[in-house]
Amino acid sequence: MMLAAIKERFDYRTALIALALVTIGVISVYSATYDAKAADTFHKQLLFVFLGFITMVGVMFIPFRLLQLISYPAYFLSILMLVAVLLLGRTVSGSTSWFTIGPFRMQPSEFTKITCVLALATFLARSDVSLRRFRDLAIAGGIVLLPVALIMMQPDTGTALIYLGMFFPVLYWAGASQFTLLSIIGPIVAAVAALFGTTLFLIAVVAFGVLLYLSMEHRIAAAAMFSLTVLVGISVQFIYDGLKPYQQKRIATFLDPNTDPLGAGYNILQSKVAIGSGGVFGKGYLHGTQTQLNFIPEQWTDFIFCVPGEEFGFMGSVTVLALFIALFIRGVGLAATVKNRYAGVVAIGVTSILATHTFMNIGMSLGLLPVVGVPLPFLSYGGSALIASMAMVGLLLNLYANRKEY
Amino acid sequence: MPQQDDIEIYGKRRAMYIIITLIFLLYLGRLYQLQLIYRDEYGKKSEENSIRTIPREPVRGTIFDRNGTLVVDNRPAFSVTIMPFEFDRKNINYLAQLLSLDPEFVSDRLKKGETYSRFAPIKIKRDIDFKTLAALEENRGRLPGVDYQVESKRFYTTNAHASHVLGYTKEISEAQIKILGEDYAPGDVVGSSGLEADYETTLRGRKGAELTVVNVRGQVIGRFEGGKSDVQAVQGDNLLLSMDFGLQAFAESLMTGRRGAVVAVDPNDGGVLALVSMPDYDLSLFSGVTTPELWRSLNEDEASPLFNRATLTRYPPGSTFKMVLAVAALESGTITPSWRVTCTGAFRYGNKVFKDLHVHGSVDLIEAIQRSCNVYFYQLMLKTGLDPWSHYGAEFGFGRLTGIDIFEENPGILPTQAYMDRRYGKSGWTRGFLPSFGIGQGDVGVTPLQMALYAAALATKGEYNEPHVVHAVVRSNPHSTDTVAPSLRMINVSDATWSAVREGMRRVVEEPGGTGGMARVKGIQSGGKTGTAQNPHGPDHAWYIGFAPFDHPKIAIAVLVENAGFGGSVAAPIAGQCIERYLYGRLIRYDGVPQPATRAAHQPPLHAGMVP
Repeated sequence: MMLAAIKERFDYRTALIALALVTIGVISVYSATYDAKAADTFHKQLLFVFLGFITMVGVMFIPFRLLQLISYPAYFLSILMLVAVLLLGRTVSGSTSWFTIGPFRMQPSEFTKITCVLALATFLARSDVSLRRFRDLAIAGGIVLLPVALIMMQPDTGTALIYLGMFFPVLYWAGASQFTLLSIIGPIVAAVAALFGTTLFLIAVVAFGVLLYLSMEHRIAAAAMFSLTVLVGISVQFIYDGLKPYQQKRIATFLDPNTDPLGAGYNILQSKVAIGSGGVFGKGYLHGTQTQLNFIPEQWTDFIFCVPGEEFGFMGSVTVLALFIALFIRGVGLAATVKNRYAGVVAIGVTSILATHTFMNIGMSLGLLPVVGVPLPFLSYGGSALIASMAMVGLLLNLYANRKEY
Repeated sequence: MPQQDDIEIYGKRRAMYIIITLIFLLYLGRLYQLQLIYRDEYGKKSEENSIRTIPREPVRGTIFDRNGTLVVDNRPAFSVTIMPFEFDRKNINYLAQLLSLDPEFVSDRLKKGETYSRFAPIKIKRDIDFKTLAALEENRGRLPGVDYQVESKRFYTTNAHASHVLGYTKEISEAQIKILGEDYAPGDVVGSSGLEADYETTLRGRKGAELTVVNVRGQVIGRFEGGKSDVQAVQGDNLLLSMDFGLQAFAESLMTGRRGAVVAVDPNDGGVLALVSMPDYDLSLFSGVTTPELWRSLNEDEASPLFNRATLTRYPPGSTFKMVLAVAALESGTITPSWRVTCTGAFRYGNKVFKDLHVHGSVDLIEAIQRSCNVYFYQLMLKTGLDPWSHYGAEFGFGRLTGIDIFEENPGILPTQAYMDRRYGKSGWTRGFLPSFGIGQGDVGVTPLQMALYAAALATKGEYNEPHVVHAVVRSNPHSTDTVAPSLRMINVSDATWSAVREGMRRVVEEPGGTGGMARVKGIQSGGKTGTAQNPHGPDHAWYIGFAPFDHPKIAIAVLVENAGFGGSVAAPIAGQCIERYLYGRLIRYDGVPQPATRAAHQPPLHAGMVP
């Protein structure tokens, strides 16, 4: 009886998945910092895990109504912090995104992601708001673009991209039309395709044109959108040609890391070597030569996925990937289960943030995506990111407990 | 505020599930590709990353003389190396200054080495002194990628130079690497002359490899698999020479300040006892780094110290060659030993006058050899003809390579019918060319080594052994000794002929009136022949060939002193002292004769107390 009551209020599956990922994270950070004169890092991470669990439990028990009530204030507070960090923050690796509090540093942009989702959900949950209206669409875009603009000023492209990865599913979930979604994604796809050459660009344009035609509501709007997309693609090509050689090289390196093994491509290559050399069962815990001999840069932060990949092989990396997928499936499932519109958007938003992080990070480690510094949730070393991730799990647990509320 | 209707929601949920699943499958496929399909490739790359092969130089084989004396040994030498991928090019100037090298040389070396491998150490400077080593060690923190290797360099233990026999080792050139192949890397040493070159593969041994694990900065973390996969360097095999380094040093001391050569062989097996070419050079100057200055000075020296006069020259042999004609004349039945000629001090043939040094009066063959009568041999040459002479000249090994195992030699010239036709045209030469050949002048060209072997054949009545410096190769693992098989060829000449010719040679040394009295050794009978060879380059070359003891010869010797005058007074005493030194182990001629203590056996006076 008691157990059933707990199961009713507590999404233990999601909690267990998060616990498993955090555990793998701790193990991986230990390995990555083992022998690397960074034992301090590991001990700090243990403390962050502790703080993360406290945060998770705390968020889980925030009364549902209170959560909705504080969404806007929290959003504005976090925006203020982003402004403050730009003015007063510490610069690490060329990016001013840190606050120093005693021995710890804090990255407000990690938390703005959450408050941004909350604010967005609050806005979209209003009964008088419809994404079919341009005004409301613009306001929703504004809620997201404000922190993105501030973060781009730090600059921190990776984190800014996370907002886009969150915004698109949220719009979809909240009822934006296919045309709207296409209009947002079209220019982005065209720009990326243009980088890979004219052929791919033309294919993308044709495909986009067909999709646009099928979801067309206004001829003029569609034509305008199509022209805009073509224009973006062409200008990207022109911009690329106008870039300085070293900038072009950077892009070329991303497209084929082997061309510059000791430059920027080095990270991708070493990461692929680490994961690839892991084979089926891995080289054994603490026996990954790439990891232990520090061949992978940023191995306890952005490239942490190499550790399970190298030391536990295919088995290890698939386990990690599968745990993440399970978490996202649960998140989406929860979004469809909750009765409250606000709760649904928050669930989708939070899940999307975690998924975007995960797919960008692992994609980078696997050499599928460019090197942009985003941490892998639960696994990467870093207090702000871990606490933020745990807070998001806390949100999911909170929404589960309150899933029947209207 | 309720959500949308259920159908819409489930549609969206499904769309998201599909997207998540697609990404999952994509990543799963990528993991499958990296970790299962390309596992070996990435595994190899990861090993290349973290496993560094450090070559271990083998210890070069050492060299012993016939008495078991160690004559060429090794001493440790420190070589500075650069690991290209760790090295910061900004440090080139600083490193060059530390090693007193030209920065451009360092940068050039680095560039060449990098094209070979970025992960293989490049030798920048060999054999640095202790002060440099200390300075380097002090500044190691400032010079990442700079290291040193302990190598061995040659160390010569005796006071004999034997430079042309032993030869030197030199840092390998790029051209040589292309020829010699993978076992060699830039900075390695390779035998470049003499035995070092000829026995390179024997002496060198095999390189080993130590596998170490390094981190991303190339710092060595430890041994790979605890050293299980290391390859031990295999020490080179040792050489046991037929040479006697006591005799070698002694002969060198006698030749000091002169130009010429001394070659002594054991007539019984062709083993070279001593081989001196003067001037020579100090091999230890080559054992560390050979500076361009040293090279230049040796190459530009007009006395050509690098040139091996014992095997590469083409000297006219002069009268020492008379026994070839004597043998040819007797064996062809042209004359008997009793055939006489009256020497009037000159011989006219056609409109040419061939001179003699003395008026010898009426002489037979033995007397003609003993007193070195030219007129006798002018006439004998005309009587015998070119072909028998050429035939026996070739039998005694002239006009062809001897096959000695020290890398470089010259066949010399032995005129034959074909040679004369080729050289002067079929009708361009006459019998008037022949008399000169009879006394070893004209086109005849020989090396001192050939002359020593000729003396050895005369000593043994026709046993012609292929000469060799190396008696045996001593392998250390497993221990075995490969003795060089002597290669013997018999010169087919009758005993009577040998007796007559050898009697002439005995009288040269042992009887009054002989021209080689200064080669006499107390208590030991020997045979010999002097020669005073006219040459276009200045005063006559002094020659002496001989062997001893007369009946059971143990040493055959040829001495040549360039532009020094009479063979009997210059070359003969050198040969005599060498024979004495070899057969007695010391110079007995000074026994009971008070002499300054400083005159060690190695530096005796050339003439003092020579002939009683």
